[in-house]
Amino acid sequence: MSRNSKQTRNSNAWRTFAQAFASWQASPVSRRHFIQGMSAISAGMLLPVSTRAKTQPGAAPIPQQAPWQTIAAVQEHLFPSEADSPGARDINATSYLKTLLDDAEHDQDERNFILNGPSWLNELAKTEYEKPFTQLDVTQREQLLQRIARSEAGENWLSLLLLYIFEALLSSPVYGGNPDGIGWRWLEHNPGFPQPTSNNSYKKLLLR
Amino acid sequence: MTTDYDVCIIGSGAGGSPVALTLAQAGYSVLVLEKGPWFNEQDFSKDELACCRRSTYTPPLTQEQHVIEEATDEGDWVATPTVESGWDFWNGNCVGGSSNFMSGFFYRLKPVDFRLRSEFGAIAGANVVDWPISYAELEPYYTKVEQLAGISGRIVKHPQQEPRSTPDFPYPPLAENIISSWIDSACHKLGYHALPTPRAILSQPAMARNSCSYSIYCGSYGCSTGAKGSARTALLDHAVKTGRCHIQPHAKVYRLISNNKGKVTGVDYYDKQNKSQRINAKIFVVACQAVETSRLLLSSPGPYHPHGLGNNHQQVGRNLLFSAGGIGQGTFNYDNLTAQQVEALKVRGPFVNRGLQDWYTIHDTKLGHVKGGTIDFLFRHPNAIARANGQKWDDNGKLVWGKPLKRKLKAYFTEARYLQFEVFCDWLPTDNCFVSLDNTVMDKWGSSVAKVRVGYHPHDLKVGRYLTEKAKTVLGTMGARDIYASVSGNPPQNLMAGGCRFGTDPVSSVLDPDCRMHDAENLFVTDGSFMPTGGSVPYTWTIYANAFRVADKIIDQLGESRHSA
Repeated sequence: MSRNSKQTRNSNAWRTFAQAFASWQASPVSRRHFIQGMSAISAGMLLPVSTRAKTQPGAAPIPQQAPWQTIAAVQEHLFPSEADSPGARDINATSYLKTLLDDAEHDQDERNFILNGPSWLNELAKTEYEKPFTQLDVTQREQLLQRIARSEAGENWLSLLLLYIFEALLSSPVYGGNPDGIGWRWLEHNPGFPQPTSNNSYKKLLLR
Repeated sequence: MTTDYDVCIIGSGAGGSPVALTLAQAGYSVLVLEKGPWFNEQDFSKDELACCRRSTYTPPLTQEQHVIEEATDEGDWVATPTVESGWDFWNGNCVGGSSNFMSGFFYRLKPVDFRLRSEFGAIAGANVVDWPISYAELEPYYTKVEQLAGISGRIVKHPQQEPRSTPDFPYPPLAENIISSWIDSACHKLGYHALPTPRAILSQPAMARNSCSYSIYCGSYGCSTGAKGSARTALLDHAVKTGRCHIQPHAKVYRLISNNKGKVTGVDYYDKQNKSQRINAKIFVVACQAVETSRLLLSSPGPYHPHGLGNNHQQVGRNLLFSAGGIGQGTFNYDNLTAQQVEALKVRGPFVNRGLQDWYTIHDTKLGHVKGGTIDFLFRHPNAIARANGQKWDDNGKLVWGKPLKRKLKAYFTEARYLQFEVFCDWLPTDNCFVSLDNTVMDKWGSSVAKVRVGYHPHDLKVGRYLTEKAKTVLGTMGARDIYASVSGNPPQNLMAGGCRFGTDPVSSVLDPDCRMHDAENLFVTDGSFMPTGGSVPYTWTIYANAFRVADKIIDQLGESRHSA
């Protein structure tokens, strides 16, 4: 394992990912991300988003192109669907994240950091198991994610994916996650009223 | 000289709006310049992404930011731009300002707050002074705000109750959760006087505004019903209805122009297209919230004011105040309660609304006779994404995921409620807390941003800890579990005042007792900047009241000379 690990760390995929992490770390968004963990009423991340994103009620398909299949597999592992509770696929976690990152206004360092993770993860998976991440079994996926969580970059990558899983789980359905309030129902959370509509979503308010 | 308006007000929040309303009602023409957009009730919803996770109501820090100077353990000052730290010092840039997003915990100052120096003496390292006015002079204006903002509450007599000219609040208290009665029982046992927290939220429809709909989310959120007494809803909407108040959103004032006698002759602002515009008026009012008010004055030198407007004695920006104190929490696990109690505790919507002012002044063998503060109880903020995100770390700071994370979330959200308390005490004014201009960091228009040094006085922590211990006894007596509290010298950026002290001496203060600049007779500052000491309650009610007081002084100064519009 240690031999392989060294190889992996010298690979191009690792270097690209590590560089993306460094840029992201130097950007305003990452530091804000940590501050947010400290306070329930924190000031909010700096993620202006244009109006291009459209809301699709109900289940949204997982995009076929790379790296979205891998990201979807990681999200499902981090937040698995169960018979009595929703998981990543039930809350449209993948399409929610893609919509957010596809926006030209979204922080580019964060976008690069998130999207570069899968190449590194897959290279690691092939070195360890001779298969891409999506073809690993649950135990292998767990071992691999535990391993990347030991590096600062890997831990931050997973932490960001979790943050956006929570957004997809608990934000208003108008943003594409949490279909029919499935996340709110599971956590017996009362979201208050009125809820935003397509006319007063933050994307619209940011244009004012 | 012909002017565009009688009065030009810079900033549309709690400081500017009382002036706009009073002057417009008195027949004067008023222009309000607001940097941000104009939202209304229809724009606001219970949207956690909009309120708290995106910069919807505040500028992107990449375009407009602050530089914060903090002390290292070695005592050096280190300056960090907020774009790097993510520590956002904006509180609401839109018509009505941050009052749109306040919780509306409304407490008056007490007579003792106006004479801190005489009452408690000097404290080494603190610039404590008495105010040039007394509580009696502000009292009628506190009463006026009760009516206009629409304060709900119930007066309960207690030893530290301030005098009032009316027997009770104009609106009855808002509905309460069962936990309020548990707080009452615990306080009764302990010999404390639990007080219903006055809120600037209508419990009944009035003044063309709806009453509270108990939609759970209040602080940090814009109000969708108009019940919250924001400056926009309670004051500006009525000012506009007079036909004499014009509000100009997207107007970023970057400079005040003054002549060789010191008088202000105009303001320059950038409009939505970033084109510079100039406005003149007889009277100018600056109310941009403490930090930005000092920044604007420092950015406005003139022939008579070479170091910035009103800064000939280097006082502008000094003695900036926040609110000292801390927070704490106790957990009420459902499995320790009866089914009936759980059902009642789970009800969302009704408020906690309990406070303690038993130690507003403290007589303690160890601390001595010192100024104390206010304790307020509230449920943990219901923001779901923020609460979930806090659960992804285990006790050792390691990420949790998969089924263990889901079990943790489920338990956190469905097996307990969390009662918190906040302690408000004086942030002593010191030479280590002030606003200056940063020489290197500019905003998107090329103006120097405000650099804010945020040092605190160690005395603040002693008082904060004393009050925190008292609050913990309430949670303990109530049977709460996992009680914790934290007191620190970190400034809460949403509770700021000071920077342009009012006083009688032009050498040691920026404003005269009417909040008129000592050496610029037609310039008034009406946000929280005037306060030489901050008191031990949130600032908004006092800012409203004082701005109404100053509005009357402005009318005196303008006399009968109304603008012929």
